[in-house]
Amino acid sequence: MPDRLTRRRHEHYVGLAEGMLAVYRGGMGQMRECLHREVRSVFASQEDCPGRRIDAFCKLLDESAEYEHVSSSRAAELRIRVFKAAALLHPLVNEADPWFEHEERSAKEKVAAQVQMTWLELESQLFADLMQYHRLQSFDTEVTATDMLARYNVAQVQACLFDAVKMSITARADFKQLLRYAKLAGLMHRIYRVDEGYEIELDGPVSVLQSTHRYGVAMAKFLPGLLACSDWKMKALLKVARWNRHAVLELNSNCGLSSTAAPAARFDSTVEEKFSEKWGTEAREGWTLERESEVLHQGQKVFVPDFTFVHTSGRRVSMEIVGFWTPEYLHDKLITLATFRDQQLILAVQEAHVEQFGEHARRMVTYKSVLKIDAVLSLLRQEVAA
Amino acid sequence: MLKPISGRHCQAKFFERLAYRSLQTSSVNNLSHQLRIMAEFASSKMASGEAATHSSAPAELTFSAGTLVLTGWTPVAIEKVFPSGVWAWDDRIRGWRTVAAEYSQVSALLKSKSVGTRDLAAHVQSVAWSKITLPELRSEQQAAVAAWHKTKQGLVVMPTGSGKTEVALQIMADQAVSTLIIAPIRDLMYQWHRRILRGLNYDAGILGDSTVNVKPITVTTYESACIHMPVIGNQFGLIVFDECHHLPTPIRSDAARMCIANQRLGLSATPERSDGGHLRLAELIGPEVYRLEIPEIRGKSLADYQVFRIPIYLNDREQHRYDELSAVVRTYFHQRRQDDPTFTWETACAESNTDPESRYAVQAFREKRSIEDRASEKLRVLEDLFRLHQGSPMLIFAGSNSMARAVSTRFLIPCLLNHCGKQERLEYLEGLRDGIFPAIVANQVLDEGVDIPAVKVAVVIGGLTSAKQAKQRLGRILRRTGSHRAVLYEVVCQDTGEVQRSRKRRDSDAFTGTKRKKL
Repeated sequence: MPDRLTRRRHEHYVGLAEGMLAVYRGGMGQMRECLHREVRSVFASQEDCPGRRIDAFCKLLDESAEYEHVSSSRAAELRIRVFKAAALLHPLVNEADPWFEHEERSAKEKVAAQVQMTWLELESQLFADLMQYHRLQSFDTEVTATDMLARYNVAQVQACLFDAVKMSITARADFKQLLRYAKLAGLMHRIYRVDEGYEIELDGPVSVLQSTHRYGVAMAKFLPGLLACSDWKMKALLKVARWNRHAVLELNSNCGLSSTAAPAARFDSTVEEKFSEKWGTEAREGWTLERESEVLHQGQKVFVPDFTFVHTSGRRVSMEIVGFWTPEYLHDKLITLATFRDQQLILAVQEAHVEQFGEHARRMVTYKSVLKIDAVLSLLRQEVAA
Repeated sequence: MLKPISGRHCQAKFFERLAYRSLQTSSVNNLSHQLRIMAEFASSKMASGEAATHSSAPAELTFSAGTLVLTGWTPVAIEKVFPSGVWAWDDRIRGWRTVAAEYSQVSALLKSKSVGTRDLAAHVQSVAWSKITLPELRSEQQAAVAAWHKTKQGLVVMPTGSGKTEVALQIMADQAVSTLIIAPIRDLMYQWHRRILRGLNYDAGILGDSTVNVKPITVTTYESACIHMPVIGNQFGLIVFDECHHLPTPIRSDAARMCIANQRLGLSATPERSDGGHLRLAELIGPEVYRLEIPEIRGKSLADYQVFRIPIYLNDREQHRYDELSAVVRTYFHQRRQDDPTFTWETACAESNTDPESRYAVQAFREKRSIEDRASEKLRVLEDLFRLHQGSPMLIFAGSNSMARAVSTRFLIPCLLNHCGKQERLEYLEGLRDGIFPAIVANQVLDEGVDIPAVKVAVVIGGLTSAKQAKQRLGRILRRTGSHRAVLYEVVCQDTGEVQRSRKRRDSDAFTGTKRKKL
């Protein structure tokens, strides 16, 4: 299970994190290798400190740091020049003798002089492009000790998910956002309606053939998106090669992990926002309004209509507001609607585009700039009658 | 709550529904007709409900994300035509799925039973070579080519330097079909590119090293193949796994499974893996069709060679520290074993996370290794060897990157490590060949594959216990040029763990007759 630092058990880590941050803040001009060594020494007398934890902290610190960029092609060029010059003096021997006359120290100065340096300067430049020799240039001053510990916890869960073969999420809100993040990460889904909302199962193409953690990276990529959503429970099945067995990782939206992914915008357009405001929370003619609460899905195609009207009788009718108007958007929308033709779906279309949606005229309400509640209610009445 | 339906569940449900429509009465000739009826039946029967899109889909075989997808088939039809277990039902796409590597079997069955399914999976092209300029093959190379042709799927095991690349190029020339060559590292990928250009006059595509240029003949690395195979896995008829002992890791072997190529060639000098992974090569590539060992062609196709072991000692300062550290490790283990006789090194490593005392012991052990690895005497011995072989190009194999850099800084000779870019590596390798550089020091980059034709002297100053690594390193100097005898020196720190590691790695026929040499 992922390593987790908690306020209760790891209070002293706040102090340690501050120590680590101090190493980086005061370490301008130092080499990466030295900074990591100093971070390690912060933990020297700690009883509870896995090496992995320190490595992870170093990585997190490096993510907030900027190192001096040494062009590797320039460094390579210097090396090639130096080695070519030195080849003529090979071998550089400890003590010169009549057969081998190039004594190490003087030969090195000679070679350095050819690139206008002293040997001491040259020695420090020769492999300067290597990661561990990069020098710290600046460090993000905003990062606090608690930030760092929070990031550490998320990173650990992500690392765990690398071994994930399958993930299942039960969600009561933010379906649209969840599915969008899953798609961005390149995962495939199955969706089931459950009492509390939806259950979304995520894995990849090969998963039906064999249990594989091939898509674990994608699931790790999906995690920050998940953390930005609300009201969910997640279960991931992990295949841990080291133990040669399976394990289950469970998380929910109250797990205390935070994410830097952008939280979902409440509304796509002002038309939606105003309509929702005007409708309010009360039932009108028996209908209450829910936002993005229905997921229409067919295979890998998913459609989350903007609103769903839920009648006291239990009947559900969804409504999609066609609010944007680029040709691509309208085209995509039409294809989506064709796919979900059989669903209980009504449309709200801006007057200017009514023509394109001709075939849906029967189940359509039009609007100019504001969507009127009466118009929608009369369409709902029609739907019930039909 | 709805339970997720697994492929098998769903399959079973279908079987129940369709059981009474079984094909028991049909003859084989009648089969395709019957199957079409089955498909129609399914679509009418399930026009409404969950299976609608499944059965109304056209009968098609396609390639999708490293798998094959078959649509428009009923479970009964699947069962009738294919061996069981080939296909799995994927309810997300309402189609059948299997790994791409099943393609040769699947396409053959589709063809022979001619069920009217359109096969849209493969995009394999044939290749017209403009001019083939391959050298005449030696008899053992010819034997290898002939052996592979019998099965078109299999492993050719030949020692490094015996011309595996030429065998592969000949097979590519014969087959003239779109081919993907997978090499373990970038250098080798570029080397394949050059060899294909020279021998087959074809400017192959490159996939890897931040280049994505896929052509009918393409070279790539195992890493890139893993990443891109879901997209390109249907474009090649032949796939060549160079140094194929790199293939059997869980993720890498996916590259083999996600490709439809029915012709497969694996090349290696040392296919055996300590984790037993080589057993999977038969399933991923094919059976071993040809094997040649170093002693069989020593002094003939391969250069004759001699192995010397040079014992060295730690200096006083190093020895003093070494003894201190040894005491720490010994005491710690002694104490722990008194409590628990089964106490192992692994436990100590695991405990080092939480226990400062075991952390201290583990650190001491690592420092010991580092002292052996970095013994200053090794640099002195190297100097003597450089004097001794003045004028002939040399390869130095180090046990760690830091030791490689130390050698490079001491003697100002090029050091070839993973961080070197393509241009820099080429410059060093060609420079060594052309006599511009007297020697190159490397860690693992040069362990296998990279051609260094002229080198006859190699020095191993550190490394693993692995006999495979030792054999590969020896192989670097065995390419026959003239009548020169190759020499391999192994510099070993006496009275340390290195002695045992050296003994272990020389545990191979190739190393019989190793001599001890004092400098």
